[in-house]
Order: sequence, then C-alpha cells, then structure tokens
Amino acid sequence: MNKELEHNFVELLEKHQNIVHKVCRLYTNNYDAHNDLFQEITIQLWKAYPKFRGDAKFSTWMYRVGLNTAITLYRKSKRTINTQDFNGVEFKIKAENYDDTEEQQLKILYKAVHQLNDIEKALVFLYLEDKDYREISETLGISEVNARVKMNRIKTKLKTILNP
Amino acid sequence: MDELDLLKKDWNKDDNTYPKLTYNEIYKMILKKSSSIVKWIFIISLLEFAFWIIISFLLKDNESMKRFDQLNTDPIFVPLIVLGYIILAFFFYLFFRNYRKISTTDNAKILMENILKTRKTVRQYVAFNLIYLVITSIAIIYIEIDQDQLIIDKIEAAAANGEVFKFYAVFIGITILFLAITIAFLLLFYWLIYGLLLKRLNRNYKELKRLEF
Repeated sequence: MNKELEHNFVELLEKHQNIVHKVCRLYTNNYDAHNDLFQEITIQLWKAYPKFRGDAKFSTWMYRVGLNTAITLYRKSKRTINTQDFNGVEFKIKAENYDDTEEQQLKILYKAVHQLNDIEKALVFLYLEDKDYREISETLGISEVNARVKMNRIKTKLKTILNP
Repeated sequence: MDELDLLKKDWNKDDNTYPKLTYNEIYKMILKKSSSIVKWIFIISLLEFAFWIIISFLLKDNESMKRFDQLNTDPIFVPLIVLGYIILAFFFYLFFRNYRKISTTDNAKILMENILKTRKTVRQYVAFNLIYLVITSIAIIYIEIDQDQLIIDKIEAAAANGEVFKFYAVFIGITILFLAITIAFLLLFYWLIYGLLLKRLNRNYKELKRLEF
C-alpha cells in the first residue's frame, strides 16, 4: 500500500479516535476487550479506506464501519472476560441505595445501556452522538419510522430500569 | 429531562476520559491481521470447496474404483463428472462474486445479508454435493450389481443358498450407513459453524428484520 495513503489514514484516525473508543465503550465491558475491538475496527477502517471518497465526512464514514464491525464482524476473543454477573450484582446494590443525584442516575443508566442488545446499543450510540433519524436509519438499514419507534421503546425501557 | 438526554449530556462531556493512542500505536495496528468473521467465513468456505475436490479425487484413485473403471461406466459417469465440474465452477464463481460484495461501508442490514448470502452459496454447494453423492452411490450400486462379475458371482451364490434378500439388504444397508455417517458429519460441521461463528450475526440480523414489521 502506498505510504501517503497510510500516513493520511493514521493521521485522520488519530484525530477522530474517540469515535472508535466510544463504540468500544458501549460494546465491551473490560479493558482487554476494548483494545481488541479497537484493533479490529482500526483494521476494518484501514481496509475500507482506499474506497473512502472525500464526499462523505471521515467521521460519518467511521460511524458506519465502526458499528458494522462491532455488530457484525467482530468475534469476541477468548481472553474477553464476561463480567455480566458482576454487573448484575453491583447494579442491585446501587438500586437499593438509590438516591436522586445525577451521578448515581448516570451510573445506573450506563449499566442499563450495557444490558441492551447490539442493535439497541447502535441506536443509542448514534442518538448520543447527535445523529438524526435519517442517518440512524441509513446506518442500520431500517426505515426512519421504525428507527423512531424503536428509539421510543428503548427510552421506555431505560425509564423502567431507572424507576422500577 | 428524559433519561437519554441526561446520558447524552454526560456522553459528550467526558471526551478526555478515553485513552489517547499515538500515531505510532495506530500505525502498528493497521499492520496487524484481522480476525473478523468474514475472514473466517472465507477460510472455511475455501476449505469446504477443497474438501469436496479432494473427496472426488480420493474416490477416483482408490483400488476398488480402479477395478470399477474397467466396467462399462462411461455413459453414466462421464456426464456426471463433467456436470460435477461445471457446477463446481459455477458455485465458485457465485461464491467469489458474493464475497467481493461484502463491504463494511454498506448499511448494517445489507452487510449482514451479503455475508449470509456468501454462506448460503457454500451451503448450496454442499447440498448439491450430498445429492450428487447419493445419485453417484445409486449409480455405482446399479452398475456393480449389473456388471461386476465379483458381485454377480456372490449374488448367484447367495441365490443358491436362498439368501438373495439378505445379500441385497446388507449391500444396500452398508451404502445407506456410509451416506448417513457422511451426512451426520457434515451436519455437525454446520452446527458448529453456525453455532459459533454466525450466532451473533444471525441474532442481530433477526433483530433488524423484526424492526421492519
């Protein structure tokens, strides 16, 4: 591969790496898994880069490849530890001592989001990144109406988890 | 304020909490090999093609087949073998066409569909091979019974003892057992591939499809 292409790509990714970190934050629950997914998304971005045309924003393009890798291509590596049980226990304790501070609420919210399925996480992710329903629907390949309906269901779901 | 907006406020606030990878760290990453399911699917699919090609050569080279070749089998087997290769080429072409269509820049649903389509081509090729195997087995049995002097002698000997039925039962039974073992082995293989490799993809694809109704 040509050196200039490599250089441009690495520089762009270095600048926008938070997008990839954010995808990893939602889809993994420990340090090793985070790094592993980051690595795979980077490879996929690099493989797709020669086809990247300047007409799309680099960041927009990253959302698509990043999510596709997380939802579809990524195989969890063996060293990934499943902390599902741990989260469950901690979540219960938090809920008992529930006070209304924003901090507490946020912690519980993050945990709740982690419990959503892969597709729901993708919707939440794009929503948090301030993407409109048109972009959400185009990224996932569903209709705008369905994206909206699903988003409302997720909101209700989160509300129920927060206010049992 | 709704829960997600609370989260959104926080989400965009803590941009500095993420690790900061350096230029060199990222550069090292792009040199590493992918371990994505697409790569595995590609390898496994090629192995499947190779498996069937090797099987067909092994069958041709083995001793009893050489004896079998002395019989008058050409009218049945030449067309079957030619057909086999034409169909192999056809599936190979389809497989590569579908594989090349897989692109991470498509939307999630199309990407999943293209991956599943690639797998489907290989699955159809295997299904074709199973049918081919059954047809060839039937043809072989027919020719053996009809032409192979060794078998004809045995049938006659069995007939003399009044055991013709037993002879046929054993003959056909062994063939069916052989086919059953082959099919069971392949089903196990498929169960493993779909169970391990495509479980997550299938689950997410179903979820996306479900959203459309």
